Amino acid sequence: MKRRSVLKNLGLLTGGLMLMPSCSFLEKRTPIALNNLQIKIEEEELMEQLIAVILPEDNLKGGVSLGVQNFVWVMLDDCAEKKKQDTFLNGLRLFNTTVKQSYGDDFEGLSSEEKYTALTNMLNNESLNTDLIAFLHTTKHTAIWGYKNSEYYLSEVMPYNLIPGAFSYKTKTIDPNEKININA
Amino acid sequence: MPNFNIDSTKKNSFDAIVIGSGMSGGWAAKEFTEKGLKTLVLERGREVSHVENYPTTNLMPWELKHANVVPEKIKKENPIAARCYNFKEDSQHFFTKDKEQPYIQEKRFDWIRGYQTGGKSLLWARQTQRLSDFDFEGPARDGFAVDWPIRYKDLAPWYSYVEKFVGISGEYDGLDVLPDGEFLKSMGLNATEEYFKKVIAEKYKNQRHVIYGRCAHITETKDIFIQQGRGMCQTRDLCRRGCPFGGYFSSNSSTLPWAAKTGNLTMKHDAVVHSIIYDDKKEKATGVRVIDGNTKETTEYFAPVIFVNASAFNTNMILLNSKSNRFPNGLGNDNGLLGKYIAFHNYRMNISAEFDGNLDKTTVGRRPTSGYIPRFRNVYKQETDFLRGYAAGFYANRIVEQETDAIGPDLMENLNTAEYGNWRVGSHMMGETIPKEESTLSLDTEKVDQYGIPQLRINLDYDENDEKMNLDYVEQLTEMFEVAGFKNIKANDSKKAPGLDIHEMGGVRMGHDPKTSLLNKWNQLHACKNVYVTDGACMTSTATQNPSLTYMALTARACDHAVKESKK
Ligand SMILES: Cc1cc2nc3c(=O)[nH]c(=O)nc-3n(C[C@H](O)[C@H](O)[C@H](O)COP(=O)(O)OP(=O)(O)OC[C@H]3O[C@@H](n4cnc5c(N)ncnc54)[C@H](O)[C@@H]3O)c2cc1C
Repeated sequence: MKRRSVLKNLGLLTGGLMLMPSCSFLEKRTPIALNNLQIKIEEEELMEQLIAVILPEDNLKGGVSLGVQNFVWVMLDDCAEKKKQDTFLNGLRLFNTTVKQSYGDDFEGLSSEEKYTALTNMLNNESLNTDLIAFLHTTKHTAIWGYKNSEYYLSEVMPYNLIPGAFSYKTKTIDPNEKININA
Repeated sequence: MPNFNIDSTKKNSFDAIVIGSGMSGGWAAKEFTEKGLKTLVLERGREVSHVENYPTTNLMPWELKHANVVPEKIKKENPIAARCYNFKEDSQHFFTKDKEQPYIQEKRFDWIRGYQTGGKSLLWARQTQRLSDFDFEGPARDGFAVDWPIRYKDLAPWYSYVEKFVGISGEYDGLDVLPDGEFLKSMGLNATEEYFKKVIAEKYKNQRHVIYGRCAHITETKDIFIQQGRGMCQTRDLCRRGCPFGGYFSSNSSTLPWAAKTGNLTMKHDAVVHSIIYDDKKEKATGVRVIDGNTKETTEYFAPVIFVNASAFNTNMILLNSKSNRFPNGLGNDNGLLGKYIAFHNYRMNISAEFDGNLDKTTVGRRPTSGYIPRFRNVYKQETDFLRGYAAGFYANRIVEQETDAIGPDLMENLNTAEYGNWRVGSHMMGETIPKEESTLSLDTEKVDQYGIPQLRINLDYDENDEKMNLDYVEQLTEMFEVAGFKNIKANDSKKAPGLDIHEMGGVRMGHDPKTSLLNKWNQLHACKNVYVTDGACMTSTATQNPSLTYMALTARACDHAVKESKK
């Protein structure tokens, strides 16, 4: 794990604390338990950084606080074919090199705005390495899916009703002022 | 111990044996136990008791670890089961896994099985349409298979009998091609489906119909349902998980607990029926041979009447495997037709489109059924270059879209909103296929399964008649969609193999004549009258209707006959 990012994440990138000789005690992030994929802690962190940019905290809760990054890993780990997993990991491993070439730093070294711009540009750049493109789109697509499948989203944003009750299926005339609930 | 055998024979003796506890076997169990017969139900699968063994039934979407997607490992191990549309993370435990029972596909056939209490009645789509005389008279009129030994009037009272107990939501449509039944309230077609119904009735001068698909859901409170402990359908549309309300019909929620309440039911699980025992001297079947699914030990059970309800192909297997001096080629198989004239429903084609009317309307809620288009081809006379015809499903939903191009704050905003698009409309075909002598089931002479039972060989395929019907379905539905002003019409050949319709039938067909059929009009084997077959194996032709209601009605009718016979 890169020391700088840890400090930055913790809001500690100031003053005397820089003198801390080692931050090994901070590195004790528990790795996600996966069945098939072999990934490094840094890769988990990168995923989290991407989710934070794709689904930031806003008026709605952000993706990271809902654990969407874990959903992406679990789905890829258990529900993707080997070929897709390989493509994904290969793309993921090309990500930072590509970011560095264009933006002069790793993804985590960029400011929030730079991250947003970098990711937006890359998602729209069809000339990137195909594995990288696949990685980016799979990540985005799966992240949105995980977000929409979260308890928070299905309870507070677009509420899902497990037991709608008898005769709840109806045709209704649309009220243009009413929020559309995709799970109604 | 001179009496040992007699004692064990006595202990293992019943008034009736029913093989299989699924949709049809559940009915046999109910009828016999109600009529006072000590009944043994032999079920090869594990026990799934109502509610208690529905592990996913009350899970919220986020509680399913994989958002209801089946993990790759399970899919890889079960390529056949995984092709069923209903095989999901929340229901895969109700599907028989491929390795449980290998079989030989001379042509590809996706055999979908549900070995457990209730069989496939836990998993079905609950569509329940009656056959009519246009179906029962089909083979005789069109010169295929053999004549059905019964007509609609023979079955009509039994359809009513079954429907009143099962609970069928439907509308009184008054159609000769699809007789009305005993209906509970309809959950309704939506505005766009109603629109299509109206347009089609007008344009085709009431020769084509779009109706509300009759389905086995309780939509009115009645004593008979309260007595079963079943409540109203809560429109969860999660039926494949098993319904904690008993809102839809399954053997688990309905017939089996009903049978148990009589005190006359003995139910054995993990009991794989190997064959039926025929006594050459007594000239009848005396019992069945059962292999314990765990210990692999063999036990024999005895009864004066035996109902075979193991689901169409398993019923064929059991009879083919029941060899004796009298019947060296399988029980009742004097004419060599056992396992022949197999057929199914052709579900290959579907069609979708958009509708830009009714834009001020949408639907709310979830509905466990949809629209239905009864057969309109070759009904009153032969009018095409193919035999018979197809029914079709029909459904409409308002498209609700969320923009997900952006990322970041824009995406978050978009995820909090949605927009209405057009309506999406769709249909799928349910074609009648012609039972043919060369469409066969047989037992392999070498390969056996884990119980030492010979493996089933399936030799079945689409034919030219099906191909012509596919084209006609696409042509006619396209025309009907155009008439309704639907746009962007797209027909699709799903290329799915036979089997995924899950309506496999035949092999032990009913008929008048022992020379050309296996069963008589009461579903008794012509040559061994105390054995009855009332599941899909008995079907002389397939018609276009979802068949389970007919299996249930035939079962109730045959039980009535068997009990009357025993009193003679
Ligand atoms: C996803 C899906 C959707 C469907 N939709 C519809 C629909 O809408 N309408 C409709 O009419 N039908 C539908 N069907 C088909 C319907 O489920 C079957 O027609 C019906 O269940 C058949 O009843 P059955 O009693 O013959 O067989 P099953 O219900 O399959 O029961 C057979 C039982 O016999 C047991 N058995 C098998 N072999 C042996 C043996 N050797 N010894 C002991 N026991 C044995 C099995 O374990 C099983 O429990 C659908 C099926 C599925 C899977």
